[in-house]
Amino acid sequence: MSPNCASVSDLPLPSHLRVRAGKFVLRGALTLLLGCLVSGVSDALAADSVATESRMPYRHVIPLRDHNGDMITLPPAFDEQGKPQEPRGSPFSTAQTCGRCHDYPSISQGWHFNAATTNVPAGRPGEPWILTDPATRTQIPLSYRGWKGTFRPTDVGMSDYDFLVQFARHFPGGGVGEPPKDRIDTNDVRMRRMQITGALEIDCLICHNKHGHYDHEARYKAVTAENFKWAPTIASELGAYGASRPAKAFADAWRPPRPAPTNLPPVKYERHRFDAANHVLIDVTRKPSPNTCYYCHTSESNLGDSRWHSDGDVHIRAGMSCVDCHRNGIDHQVVRGYEGETKDRPVSPEAIALRTKLILRDDPSISEADARTLAETRLNAEVGKVETLSCSGCHYGSSDGLSAGRLGAPRPHHVGFPPIHFEKLACTACHSGPIPGNAAEIVHTSLAHKLGLPAPLRGANTAPAIVQPVFLRDANGKIAPHKMVWPSYWGTLSNGVVAPLLPEVVAKAVGDKLPSQAPADVERDPYNTKPLTNEQIRDILTALGAGRTNGEPVFLASGKLHRLANNEVTSETHAAAEPYAWPLGHDVRPASQSVGGVKGCADCHSGDSPIYFGTVTARGPVDPKDAVSKTHLEFRGDDETVVSTFAFTFKFRPMLKVVTFGCALILLGVIVGRAFVALSGARSSLGRHSK
Amino acid sequence: MASTSIPQASSAPEIPALGIGPRLAYLLMLAGMLPVAITGIGTFVLGQAPMTHWVLMAHVGASPVFAVGLTLVALTWPSREARYGSFSWFLFWLLLFAGWIVVLSGVLPMTPLLGTEGQHFLYLTHRYAGMAVAILTVLHLLSLRPRR
Repeated sequence: MSPNCASVSDLPLPSHLRVRAGKFVLRGALTLLLGCLVSGVSDALAADSVATESRMPYRHVIPLRDHNGDMITLPPAFDEQGKPQEPRGSPFSTAQTCGRCHDYPSISQGWHFNAATTNVPAGRPGEPWILTDPATRTQIPLSYRGWKGTFRPTDVGMSDYDFLVQFARHFPGGGVGEPPKDRIDTNDVRMRRMQITGALEIDCLICHNKHGHYDHEARYKAVTAENFKWAPTIASELGAYGASRPAKAFADAWRPPRPAPTNLPPVKYERHRFDAANHVLIDVTRKPSPNTCYYCHTSESNLGDSRWHSDGDVHIRAGMSCVDCHRNGIDHQVVRGYEGETKDRPVSPEAIALRTKLILRDDPSISEADARTLAETRLNAEVGKVETLSCSGCHYGSSDGLSAGRLGAPRPHHVGFPPIHFEKLACTACHSGPIPGNAAEIVHTSLAHKLGLPAPLRGANTAPAIVQPVFLRDANGKIAPHKMVWPSYWGTLSNGVVAPLLPEVVAKAVGDKLPSQAPADVERDPYNTKPLTNEQIRDILTALGAGRTNGEPVFLASGKLHRLANNEVTSETHAAAEPYAWPLGHDVRPASQSVGGVKGCADCHSGDSPIYFGTVTARGPVDPKDAVSKTHLEFRGDDETVVSTFAFTFKFRPMLKVVTFGCALILLGVIVGRAFVALSGARSSLGRHSK
Repeated sequence: MASTSIPQASSAPEIPALGIGPRLAYLLMLAGMLPVAITGIGTFVLGQAPMTHWVLMAHVGASPVFAVGLTLVALTWPSREARYGSFSWFLFWLLLFAGWIVVLSGVLPMTPLLGTEGQHFLYLTHRYAGMAVAILTVLHLLSLRPRR
């Protein structure tokens, strides 16, 4: 900051504020502008230069800026001849518009955007993107984070661009959607399309739109048509795509080395959203509502018309928001909320730079190196507070004595619950997800099943098949409920390693061997969920193998690898067919519906306890009889004899209590009786002496 | 076990000798205590606490034997304990008291009476009272020599 702008009253304003001020105090504004120009305009536009720092939300009446940083100015409604003029303009850029005041580079490091672009620790396994294709019965878990059991998109032959086309419906932009221009390989036939479609910037309004004026369906259609650059404008209902020809068509028609077309359609803006100064009210909130989060984070096991039975999360019912716990600073490193998360949260260089700047502002005598060290130390200390936002951190307090009861979280009593359970079970084991039954059940999620977008009712067999709860051990060795998906794909086996084939490759290679749906079946089963027969698998494997020299064609489904042997399909277990699982945290159930809260100890310690003896059957596009089926304890590798014996001993627990309490009572009687006798004797003795 | 044939001083009231019943009671208590002590103290010493699996089952399974044995000792021994001197008498009553705490702190966590802090307190109480019982039992055994 320039010394000329040291006092609060002289703080340099961002451009949109300068324009508004100019309407009323033109001279003052001109003086200010001049002063700031003299002292350095770049300082005035620095991302952290202005902030209201009030708990009252700032009313964002701001100019929109296009991708070049130019203010979007609508032509007058009528020209000089009185003819109406269309309110056309370039699509607005969130990086240029929001980034004027909010540190866009820091935000870009956030958890929702950083999977592919930075080296942040992957942390606890999370929900993957699942490449799903009903026709080829493909479901491949993908993630840029490298979680074991997932594939990186490039590993299966998907470019970042393909990833965007496939998943931008629920991907908020940034990261792979926004590669630096100098890193776009112009020889890459997919990535170079971004020169036309534009980047998929972080769409701030997906989360921060306050009043629900965000059209996810419009965004889905926009990104499907590869109108990446236009998507935020269209979805936030500021305007509509100004032509019928989408960016995809322009990109398809482009034949390099001819220059990329520049006659791309403008946006036809909603004129009523702009005021006379071409400013727009962007009604945003720092704290998105749960409904906003639910677009991407709905998880529902009450399927179809039984959805009304869902109670939702107990915290939301109590009036909390997701972001009360899953909160973040400007770096958008959203707290994931699991125990041990602090070790997975490095402090970003951007956060250190920002804090260093603030330290230097408050203490000019400190050297920059010292300020940087101090900033790093303070930020690392602050990371510890994340611990208090996990279940136990909030309800019990963190291990380093930070206060419990954040947000008024009640301290659980856990009456009659021996403390050893806290060492063996995660909080979620008893409190999260559906009440466990004898078999893990199908669950639909936003990311996997495109929830939030209109489609025919999704059913129990709609791919991808994900089940919950599966009680596995987490990274801390505690039993926790998980969601689980089994990979299903055609691939080639070579040296024990299976390389997946993309659906389009399979479709092209096998042609009409892929079973087609009878027209009469389409209405009944719009997701084409009929399992493949062994004959169909054999025919496809045979077709895939024809002329193929690099590996043996195989089909992975329902936990098994299917291959041809003497022209017959055989199935076997294989590491590549193992499921991918990730812990679930929600919906949290109340104590009375917790495991242990219904039947007490017998909820777990009985011969039919779901948490041990419930079955988990692999779900996929083959006959369920051929699928892998295990109990929860088998998945965990627990000793069934120990578990069964321990459960059996609980039959004698009432007797044990009666006997032991009886003994304790008799012992007490003997001890008290003896004490009484001793006291009586002592009193008599004292009486004799006094006489 | 000490001999019971040693004559008592004529001025003192007659202390009944230990019969087969008290001896069996004491043996029962020791039979219950041995596996309980091995599993309980063993896991603590080896840094494997808290107990789990077979060790826990053995511990819990043997605990009623100890509780019943201790109770029978409490019912059959007090009138005879004076045979072994005041220190042994003192150890005996301390053992009964510590045993009572062990038994109670072992069974109370199985009831819906106490919350996490109470459960944890009982767990620690059970652990240290159990160690005390083991030590007191050894000392008491050593003190079992009739007065001359």
